Amino acid sequence: MNKEDIFALVARHVCEVIPELEGYAFKPSERLADLGANSVDRAEIVALTMEALSLQVPRVELFGAKNIGELVDVLYEKLRSA
Amino acid sequence: MLVGIEAMNVYGGTAFLDVMMLAKHRGLDTARFENLMMKQKAVALPFEDPVTFGVNAAKPIVDALTPEEKDRIELLVACTESGIDFGKSISTYMHHYLGLNRNCRLFEIKQACYSGIAGLQTAISFVLSQASPGAKALVVATDISRFMTVEAGEELTADWSFAEPSAGAGAVAALVSARPHVFQIDVGASGYYGYEVMDSCRPVPDSEAGDADLSLMSYLDCCEQTFREYKKRVPEADYKETFQYLAFHTPFGGMVKGAHRSMMRKLAKAKPPEIETDFEQRVLPGMIYCQRVGNIMGATALLSLASTLDNGRFDTPQRIGCFSYGSGCCSEFFSGVAASNGQQLQRGFMIGRQLDERYALSIDEYESLFDHSLALRFGTRNKKIDPGVLPGAYESCRGKQRLILNEIREYHREYRWSS
Repeated sequence: MNKEDIFALVARHVCEVIPELEGYAFKPSERLADLGANSVDRAEIVALTMEALSLQVPRVELFGAKNIGELVDVLYEKLRSA
Repeated sequence: MLVGIEAMNVYGGTAFLDVMMLAKHRGLDTARFENLMMKQKAVALPFEDPVTFGVNAAKPIVDALTPEEKDRIELLVACTESGIDFGKSISTYMHHYLGLNRNCRLFEIKQACYSGIAGLQTAISFVLSQASPGAKALVVATDISRFMTVEAGEELTADWSFAEPSAGAGAVAALVSARPHVFQIDVGASGYYGYEVMDSCRPVPDSEAGDADLSLMSYLDCCEQTFREYKKRVPEADYKETFQYLAFHTPFGGMVKGAHRSMMRKLAKAKPPEIETDFEQRVLPGMIYCQRVGNIMGATALLSLASTLDNGRFDTPQRIGCFSYGSGCCSEFFSGVAASNGQQLQRGFMIGRQLDERYALSIDEYESLFDHSLALRFGTRNKKIDPGVLPGAYESCRGKQRLILNEIREYHREYRWSS
């Protein structure tokens, strides 16, 4: 799975958690918080994406991403080293 | 042998604030505030501190004992992250105002929001050890959040501003003995899990700092890891079937709902409608008091247990799974059994009514308390407390035999009973 696929997966789960964003054109530089996702929403988006990727790592290891693009990067790296 | 909680009581403060009102006043994004599931929070008044909260929770339990039973309390553990002295434990004050036997161990423990369960498990081990057959232990978890949070910096996200509406004040006292009328512990059925992480903390006196995302992720990791460890020790355990109720440490309701959703998806392969029904049946009864008191840190897991005991259905004995998480971090999943006679006893403390009778603060009144709080900073040497700051709130204590802080004199705290 490449970064574009993971990005699409994250975008899909953002829309699942915040249905109002359906059809929105997400950019890698955008922060989930700025799109209206609170901490509970963000954790849910990460959890759904991890499950879709069958990624079994502690969630705290994904911490530190500042925007959607960085979240995709860290998911991609974890998936590669898994 | 049997062991567990003989009686437990909650003290959810003299005054509370409607947190939706606060969120609007602070200009927080309220569009998705509802899914955080916060309603009210107890607010510590100038004449309240961790000692008064703790004593006011424990006193009805102690008063209900015979003098002989009371004399068998040989361990008093104060569990808190709101300590008032680095050396002298607040259990010494509690011991004095509760009038307990001097042949009693007194100490205070800390591990963020895990402290109450650390205290409970310490008490359970003490009773199980049978080093002093027939002895009882009193565990008092008490925490307040009096001050504003540390200003957001590089590593502290702005989302931490949501900490203010969630941060409450309160205490839970639990009497632990070989007569577990209220909650009988499943001995040895415990999964504990801890590691070093800097998610939320109190690095300076009277204030908090942290990162909401990291804390939430660590909570979710621990929720899963503690149950997996529990299952190693109780192989037949099933997350969906074994526990009729789940009592979670509840920083705010939405976090628990998210954790439950994640666990049900992962461990029970459940779909959203089933998860929602299960949440309402098994988890919500334990959240009712938490939503009225706010996050009371070390006491919150016990608060959720008390809420489950009062608001659940116990026509037949029911098993309750409990999860505690304390930032930093340490966590535990354990279980016990409650029955209808225990619920009857428990309801005698009328916790819901006590919460109903609290004084409702306006935003102006709430903000007026900040200056008074500053005058009570950690390390205050001398201070006479004016109980008339909010006359209406003080008035609501009348005739209730509540402990109130009267004065700090040369660092020594002096209390009196409201009349």
